[in-house]
Amino acid sequence: MNTPVKNGYDMRINRPLANTYGWLHANVTHLSGVRVGHDVSLTEEIPEQVHSGMESACVRPDLKTGMGSDMDVLLGYSGASVRVYTVPRDTDGGVLRLHYAFPAGNHSSGKVSPEGISPDGGAKQVAFSGKNQNTVEGNMGAVCVRLEDNAVLTLVSDYVSPDSASGLAAMQTKIILGKNARLRLVQIQRLGNGYTFLHDTGALCAEKARLEVIRLILGGHHTYDGCSAALAGDKSTFSADIAYRVGGDGRLDMNYEAVHTGKHTSCEINASGVLRERAFKLFRGVIDFRRGCSGSEGNETEDVLLMDEHVRNQTVPMILCGEEDVVGNHGASIGRLDENLIFYLESRGMERNAIYEMCAHAKIDAVVRKIPDPVTVRTLFPWLCGDGENGDESAGSASGENDPTGAALSENKSAGGKDESAGSVPGETER
Amino acid sequence: MREQQEKTRVEDVDRSFYDFRYEEKDVFRVDEGLTPDIVTRISEEKHDPDWMRAFRLKSLEIYNRTPMPDWGPSIEGLDMDNIVTYVRPNTRMSAKWEEVPEDIKNTFERLGIPQAERESLAGVGAQYDSELVYHNVRAEVAAKGVVYTDLESALHGSYADMIHEHFMKLVPPTDHKFAALHGAVWSGGSFVYVPPGVSVEIPLQSYFRLNAPGAGQFEHTLIIVDEGANLHFIEGCSAPKYNVANLHAGCVELFVGKNALLRYSTIENWSKNMYNLNTKRARVETGGKIEWISGSFGSHVSYLYPMSVLAGYGARSEFTGVTFAGRGQNLDTGCKVVHNAPHTASYVNTRSISKDGGISTFRSAVVVNAQAQDSKSSVSCQSLMIDSESRSDTIPAMDIRTDKADIGHEARIGRISDEAVFYLMSRGVPEDEARALIVSGFAENVSKELPLEYAVEMNNLIRIEMKGSIG
Repeated sequence: MNTPVKNGYDMRINRPLANTYGWLHANVTHLSGVRVGHDVSLTEEIPEQVHSGMESACVRPDLKTGMGSDMDVLLGYSGASVRVYTVPRDTDGGVLRLHYAFPAGNHSSGKVSPEGISPDGGAKQVAFSGKNQNTVEGNMGAVCVRLEDNAVLTLVSDYVSPDSASGLAAMQTKIILGKNARLRLVQIQRLGNGYTFLHDTGALCAEKARLEVIRLILGGHHTYDGCSAALAGDKSTFSADIAYRVGGDGRLDMNYEAVHTGKHTSCEINASGVLRERAFKLFRGVIDFRRGCSGSEGNETEDVLLMDEHVRNQTVPMILCGEEDVVGNHGASIGRLDENLIFYLESRGMERNAIYEMCAHAKIDAVVRKIPDPVTVRTLFPWLCGDGENGDESAGSASGENDPTGAALSENKSAGGKDESAGSVPGETER
Repeated sequence: MREQQEKTRVEDVDRSFYDFRYEEKDVFRVDEGLTPDIVTRISEEKHDPDWMRAFRLKSLEIYNRTPMPDWGPSIEGLDMDNIVTYVRPNTRMSAKWEEVPEDIKNTFERLGIPQAERESLAGVGAQYDSELVYHNVRAEVAAKGVVYTDLESALHGSYADMIHEHFMKLVPPTDHKFAALHGAVWSGGSFVYVPPGVSVEIPLQSYFRLNAPGAGQFEHTLIIVDEGANLHFIEGCSAPKYNVANLHAGCVELFVGKNALLRYSTIENWSKNMYNLNTKRARVETGGKIEWISGSFGSHVSYLYPMSVLAGYGARSEFTGVTFAGRGQNLDTGCKVVHNAPHTASYVNTRSISKDGGISTFRSAVVVNAQAQDSKSSVSCQSLMIDSESRSDTIPAMDIRTDKADIGHEARIGRISDEAVFYLMSRGVPEDEARALIVSGFAENVSKELPLEYAVEMNNLIRIEMKGSIG
């Protein structure tokens, strides 16, 4: 049991359901000095059919999340309230949009200790400190979504801050889906290039419930991302489409898990992303077939495009199986673009750098196009192209992202080598 | 229905062939446990040079301060205080089977070793408990300059410096707790040196038999294949089953020179009371290639991850393995590859079968370091579960530190595919034959890489009842 310390809370997060070799330092991530004390600024667009309320304490502590129980404890220390959204039985709740605006300049930045490995062999220790130790506190928000039987909802959560902002932010989303309920959960992270973001999700699915997660990680400095779905009801399903881009000295640390206990359940986890400059990314994806989940199926893929020589990618896809009558597949592809593809496009007159930029954009674009809310898509595309609501062109163009019309291709070509157009997460932060 | 079940039932590994034992006669045993005095006694018995004695004691220190691994199967049942680390049969090593004591010779006769030597091997080393009892190499192979001898002779002979230069450099005692244990109490094992340009056309083999209950076997195999040379080395092992724990913490170090080729095949069939904590590692130089062929059928608990370090430009590694986990077994196997040079390539293809409550875990790691540009790696693992009492886990990992690499991984777990059965049936194959065909092909990745005699042995181990057989 962790206890709060004066200088923040020590957390162990993103621990997968099984361990890999200890020397890879990928079994758990250790964060120290985490302090969150403020509720986050939220703008809600709540459809009529959705009921909203507040709870003052952690909801459903028994519901496992991807980052683990330390996030529940952090929520308790933060004092933040939990916003609860409920869709009644047999109701189509429409689209619930939550727009989180995180502030600029609370000067908290996570520093990765260069040699420090946590005693339990976890990933490198991240210590939070700020220019003013006494005032460093991040913002935390928490949401609980309950869909009763046969209810339907699309929830769009958009996390933004000024582009050059730094800070610490934490979000937890817990989801309880009744029989035959369907939730399409879209989570878009567009935080400033100095932000550390703890992003945690947990879901419990009843019979025939469907959870579809679309997650875009487009900003931030360090992002810790976890998602766990318990497929407890027969024929329940979970899908996750994740797209990310990490650049500079950014870190992305993910833990996704699908726990199959019901019969004939299915999951599909697809992660696709781009790493540039000195970025680090760790993806853990676990499909866990527990005994009794006969007839279930799980698929997991990861596709990582490595753009620069100093990137580092760790991928740990796991299938844990205690049931005979299941099918589990996972596949991963890491590295460069296929040479045949490059040759084909070069033979059509494209320069290599432009090809890479186009394909990097395509990885994000492919997931953006799956967002089932046209309003969100219309907001997002301009932002990706550098003309977004944050009013900072560097957010998009520095990424080298091309607009859907391809007009920016000529800009990239004239900009020169891919290194110049890189830096998708704008700039570097001080460490 | 019953006939179909019989045709597709996967029998447990038939160990009756191996489950025989002889009473220990006039053997020398050290006390149970692990102390500096015991390590010193072992060193004295083996007439170690000073550096080796110091090495053993240093390894013991490392062992004592290194924690147990906590990421794999439980080894709570292993109590080093009850393990005898050195048991020497009352015989000297011989190059003639006629000179080997009757019961020991009969042991290896029953295992088919002398016959295999006569028919198809270039040389054989046979280890019984802690010491080699037989070692021989064909004259024509020795005439090429190939050295195949027991490690302890080599330690005192003309290859002493070579041993000193290489011994536990690839697997240092600091690597993990049981590497340190091995460094402290190792005994037996073989040294092989293949000179430049020499191709050993037929395999060399070592066979390890652990007869004593409550004992450990800690053989060390050191193979150096020099530039442009070629060798196939086969190791086999077995033990009778006892009610007390036995321990195998051997070590294999392979040095594959420039443009050399080494194929290292293992059929592991330790008894179900055995804790198999073996360490195998190969270092491959420019243009060289290591091929691992691994069949894991025995042990109560296994930690086994042959590792390849691709140190030279264009070095390659292939790993082909099959693991069969039956009742009472928790087999944690896999492989590791580290790409440390440009244009290196690795290929991993493994299969596992688990039944009757057996636990099979495939655990791998592919690390591509920053200097390993233009390297490629492909990992494929497939798991077949026969029933829901068993477990099968796949835990691969990739750590890529350069953008100029191409890495692919795939894994699949499941049961016999209904679609595949349907396909074959649509082509006129009866259902029972279709299922039998699929199962028989599942472990074929390993059997096809083995010499025929060993494929047959592997077939005997699995004894899948069906039309046709593996290999």
